[in-house]
Amino acid sequence: MFRSLFLFDVTFWLYLAAMGLYFGYIIASRKALQPAVAGHPAGTTAEEGSWADTLGLLATWVTFFGLIVNGMALGTRAYERMQISGTFAPWSNQFEAMAYVSFAIIAGYLLLELKYGIKAIGAFVVSIGFIAMGAASLLPYRYQTAEPLVPALNSYWIYIHVSITLTSYAAFAMAGGLGVMYLLKERAERRGMAATSVYATFPSLEKIDELGYKAIMVGFPLLAFGTILGAMWANYAWGGYWSWDPKETWALIVWLIYGAYIHARMNRGWEGHRAAVYQIFGLLMVVFCFWGVNFLLSGLHAYA
Amino acid sequence: MNRLTVRAAHLYDEMFFQFQTTYEMDAITKDTEAAKPFTFKEFGDALLEFFSSLKLAIFLMITLAILSTVGTVIQQGERPEVYIKEYGESAYWWFVKLGFIDIYHTWYFSTILVLLCINSLTCFNQRFPAIWRSIRQDKVNVTAQFIQNLKRSATVDLAAERGTVTEDIALAFAERGYRVLVNKGDAETTLYATKGIMGRIAAHVAHLSVTVIVIGGILGNVIGFRDFGVCLEGETYHIPQGNFDLHVDKFWIDYYDNGAVKSYNSTLTVIENGESKLTKTITVNDPLVYKGIWFYQSSYGDSWDRVEKARVVVRDKTTDKVVGEAILDWKKEAVLKDLGLKLLLTDFVADFGFDAKDRRVYSKTVEHENPAIKLAITEREQTLTAPWIFYNYPDLFDIQGSKYKFELTGYLAKKFTGLQIAKDPGVLLVWIGSTLLVVGVTLSAVIYHRRVWAKVVPGRQGVTVYVGGTAYKGQIDFDREFDRFTERLKARGNYTV
Repeated sequence: MFRSLFLFDVTFWLYLAAMGLYFGYIIASRKALQPAVAGHPAGTTAEEGSWADTLGLLATWVTFFGLIVNGMALGTRAYERMQISGTFAPWSNQFEAMAYVSFAIIAGYLLLELKYGIKAIGAFVVSIGFIAMGAASLLPYRYQTAEPLVPALNSYWIYIHVSITLTSYAAFAMAGGLGVMYLLKERAERRGMAATSVYATFPSLEKIDELGYKAIMVGFPLLAFGTILGAMWANYAWGGYWSWDPKETWALIVWLIYGAYIHARMNRGWEGHRAAVYQIFGLLMVVFCFWGVNFLLSGLHAYA
Repeated sequence: MNRLTVRAAHLYDEMFFQFQTTYEMDAITKDTEAAKPFTFKEFGDALLEFFSSLKLAIFLMITLAILSTVGTVIQQGERPEVYIKEYGESAYWWFVKLGFIDIYHTWYFSTILVLLCINSLTCFNQRFPAIWRSIRQDKVNVTAQFIQNLKRSATVDLAAERGTVTEDIALAFAERGYRVLVNKGDAETTLYATKGIMGRIAAHVAHLSVTVIVIGGILGNVIGFRDFGVCLEGETYHIPQGNFDLHVDKFWIDYYDNGAVKSYNSTLTVIENGESKLTKTITVNDPLVYKGIWFYQSSYGDSWDRVEKARVVVRDKTTDKVVGEAILDWKKEAVLKDLGLKLLLTDFVADFGFDAKDRRVYSKTVEHENPAIKLAITEREQTLTAPWIFYNYPDLFDIQGSKYKFELTGYLAKKFTGLQIAKDPGVLLVWIGSTLLVVGVTLSAVIYHRRVWAKVVPGRQGVTVYVGGTAYKGQIDFDREFDRFTERLKARGNYTV
């Protein structure tokens, strides 16, 4: 009955493969770099036709293919929803929302790779996309199927409010992955192994830091927009634009946390290490907002 | 103080870096405070500086986040029993003291919100004028030393004429969307290129929007209202806030094929001065609006003080055999001819309670825990008492003077539609503020302010170019742009970036 479930399954395995390939890529790059001249810029000495290049190329293509299948899965789910209840938003329950978040994370990562060409980031960001997809597939079957929408959700607002909010989560997830990467690279530098070990293909600390900041600068306006759209929806459905429902309050909390981060960065002390730790903390808060609120706190958003 | 020396070069450019150097400026103010007697103006400046500081902004946002978290962990606005059961008596006492059971309406929560407004407004007041001025009058003439101290800088010797080099640099930046100003001196030429000041302005628009939203919220709280009405089909209700009446024509539920609820619907008619003004079927996502008052489909349920129908079984007292059955309509007399009975269903309670003081029967809760009907019995033209008949406890009372026993074996509760009735005159301001917020935050996140200075002076080969620049945000993209520019400048012949 649910053809999309098969495609979601395929997506899961493709992302797993992509993650493995990206890790393979950074491990293989280490070997290629060992004979490199000390002080030579990282990432440019890999011999032509080396394992690393092959793995890197494969990783990118498998990720891209995974994205396509993920998109097809969401599209098929949209069609199935249309058959069942006449609405098509393929992010109408927890499972679909997470599958959409992983789609957004992977799409965001591929854009990043296209623009900056730093494959090592894939090991971290694609992993988060994979974890989102994996966690979705761990949900019980009854959460994975497309049930008709409850009356409160049956509105055109679901298309725009939910998708935009989820996209902001994806951006914050990328920032969190970059934060982890920063801390690892930093530790390697402290131990003096940044140039020779698997960290060789990692971009400079400054670059990781800046990319993390950029990811948050994408997520921050999106979350503001998504939350305000939610308020507009609430004004039609719940009898008021703000009810301090746990979900909307947590969206505000997350937004304030990143707002504080953006302001703190105006001062130099909040770049680098502290920012990386904060990005990871922020991601944990997003995960709570996305998951914890639905499963631990009761409220108007308890639809899943 | 270390940071101060490191950043001395940047302080030189105070007009733009004012925002980033708040802490350093704070430190300076503090030093002078002790030395000199305090003037009123200095005090005012220090106060403004404090209220507009980044530190305060961060502190307020984090505090607001923490307080909001408390409000989501501890359930808000519940009955005392709920808290006592979960957290214990003493914890509940503290919750009440600290306002944790309605944290979003406590004085300290409101204070933080107001402080956040003051913070963003003073920030606007302190920093915006400089940004605004810089649109018109930017610092073009700078020294080579200044350029070399910028975050990114390069020095390039070129065998070319000053005029062509200047023109090429100007063109390169103009093509990238920069606004280029050239100051041609006798011996040297200074170029200034800038882009994306809009991003800085947008950030301040976002700051102002916070206050707009908060004012909208306060307005709604002060002159708006939010009520909940339990309304029955066929009844008319007066809405005093709008001085009109609301008639509930119909309430019904639509289902999907699999039995899940598709929508709750109420058809409502607005009646003003005896005239029907407006009829609309509202659903959960589609309220009725009349004279600024919104009617939302909020809930529904079984009425606790009336039924549509009730089924009463009549038994003979002596034989205990069923001798008759009647389906009674609400407040309509039913006649059982062969038993010589007339029955009238006069009242219903869902959860029987008795107020001994007022000698009044009422429903303790809205749940159908202990339903009972009041039955007026006329037997052989003789009016007997009207006893309460309990659904859960048949045969509780003996009805004197009657041959029969009456049992309530079933009833069809009247459905009510729960309407949320609200008026919020602040909502328009909230939407205006929200729009400004989204536009401001988006633009300031997307548009990065960048500035580049270049100085072309006579050099060994022909000219020496000092070029340097800073980005307010988005350093990584600026770095790429700057590197590409300097590489091509060095390669000569092709200045296009």
